[in-house]
Amino acid sequence: MIAVLVAIPLLFAFLTALTIPLRMEKYARYLFLVGALLPWLAYLLMGEGSEVVGGWPRVGGIEVALDIYSSLLVLGELILFSAVALYSVTYFKKEVKALILLLLVHAGLLGTFISRDLFNFYIFMEIASVSSFALVGFSGEKRAIRAAYKYLMLSLLASYFFVFSIGIIYLKTGYLNLELISQVSPSTEIRAAVALALASLLLKAGIFPLHLWLPDAHANAPSPVSALFSGAVVKAPAYGMLLLSLYLPLPESLRNALLVLAFSSMFFGVGAMLVEGDVKRFLAYSTVSQMGYVLLGIATLNPLGAIYYAFAHMLFKGGLFLSAGAMVDKAKARELDKLSYRGDILLMVSTIMLSLAIGGIWPFVGSPAKAALLKGLPYGRELFYLAGMGTLASFTKLNYYLMKGRGEESGTLALPSVMMALAALLAGFSLGGSPKAMDVYLLLGGAVLFLLLKASGLLEIRLEKREITPGDVNLGAALFALFLLLLLHLSQG
Amino acid sequence: MKMSLVVRTTTKLVAPFLVTYGAYLTIYGYESPGGGFQAGVIFAVSVILLMTAYGYRRTRKHFPLRTVQLVESSAALFIVGIAMAGLAFGAFFINFLRPYVPGGTVMTFNIGVALKVGTSFVLVFYILSRWVDRD
Repeated sequence: MIAVLVAIPLLFAFLTALTIPLRMEKYARYLFLVGALLPWLAYLLMGEGSEVVGGWPRVGGIEVALDIYSSLLVLGELILFSAVALYSVTYFKKEVKALILLLLVHAGLLGTFISRDLFNFYIFMEIASVSSFALVGFSGEKRAIRAAYKYLMLSLLASYFFVFSIGIIYLKTGYLNLELISQVSPSTEIRAAVALALASLLLKAGIFPLHLWLPDAHANAPSPVSALFSGAVVKAPAYGMLLLSLYLPLPESLRNALLVLAFSSMFFGVGAMLVEGDVKRFLAYSTVSQMGYVLLGIATLNPLGAIYYAFAHMLFKGGLFLSAGAMVDKAKARELDKLSYRGDILLMVSTIMLSLAIGGIWPFVGSPAKAALLKGLPYGRELFYLAGMGTLASFTKLNYYLMKGRGEESGTLALPSVMMALAALLAGFSLGGSPKAMDVYLLLGGAVLFLLLKASGLLEIRLEKREITPGDVNLGAALFALFLLLLLHLSQG
Repeated sequence: MKMSLVVRTTTKLVAPFLVTYGAYLTIYGYESPGGGFQAGVIFAVSVILLMTAYGYRRTRKHFPLRTVQLVESSAALFIVGIAMAGLAFGAFFINFLRPYVPGGTVMTFNIGVALKVGTSFVLVFYILSRWVDRD
């Protein structure tokens, strides 16, 4: 029954597609909304558990599960997609194709988050990413199309290596089911395959040195689509890394490398945010930084922490992109100096709430998620707090710019971000966060750091806007190749 | 862009056989090499051959874009529908047609996939040749 969760959006995606040849495009939005919201019903009716689709034997069948790891991610995806659907219905008035692609991303993500089978995971991740390529370039602007091309080339390169590593695992164990794979004693080849798979998933998740495609793709996509990308699509490869860490052995050296990558990603993201003047690129770099936290949970073998943080990030980053989208679509500009949320009190409150949530302040969802991550962290707590302070400083910067100037009323466009802010608040309470004195110190530290940086004039530095060139793809591919070799070497060490 | 008489006549002769072979692969694919995807590609090739020999405009008269779109999305709907119909017989994706049809749902899936793949390829070629339409 669990697989029905995936079948519903898929069915409605094709029903929506059928409205184009039938010339009934005006009904497409209703079909889209039903397809987006009906999985809620299936999710609420279904209990936890696992099953093999179609009653086949486990060796040949496809196992899906809704357990503590999956159900939280599925819940986050459902909340985020409901808000995105609400925004998209007003944003894509005439473009039925975008609605179909969004439903396909929805189906792909739900399928990814419930899979317990390597090949099935790969297929659904690809359904989500192939639809994403088309959605990035949907506006048809030159920059958007180039960003989509860059995303396509780098992401597909990683996919080929991922499917190659699945092939190695299948060759050595004879299984694709993760539970069965974990019962086979690991060999050198399997360790190499795990390193290959990790390197490709790192690229797809946008972790620091391999993040090159992420800011361009997420910043140039249409507003509701960027919310979905930053919130949910990058979580699919992160979930893959989590599955690998749960069922396959990660050598010590590989885990240390992941830990270094996680911290460098956290700090690189914060640094880039402080000098970025484009609101969507700012949020995209924040995703690079936040994915570092998720990777931290995986590297310290703390799957619950990683899941909590991934869920929290879905809520607040999706919400922030939606509120940024409401401002950007109204003002038709993306520069921080030209935007403001004054004039719309709802948008202002929800943006501030979401900014506090991303900083990990009680009572929002970031607080219990960070606490869960800290529980598994053996050392480097100071660095963790420092990164949190940097995040707060950069979001102080965002709110400082948005507080200035004058904005217009956003009307119904503000509604999705309010929904996400409320969800972040409620989830914070239900995950059981507790107020800590550290929150106040971090908040003050963030504000002081921001003021210091502002006084020193560092915030006036603006990166030059540069065109996306084919050379970028070569650079990304070369970095990926280097990483692949490094991780392969470490896995054998 | 019109090809020579030899090419056009040969294409006209070959295309029906391709369709027959595609149908064979679809229906018999559940227990021999073949299956929906391969059959769909062969269906598409028969239309694409006509397109290269006679040009986009003449092919479009016989296989209109709208019909291709209609068949494409309803074939996909058919596949998901068959999978969901299994719910009434106990489980998602269950092979509930086995006593009645050779191969059970495997064959119906093959038919759906063949139609979907064939029309998708034709659609891709239509869109590409609309872009370079010079005939």
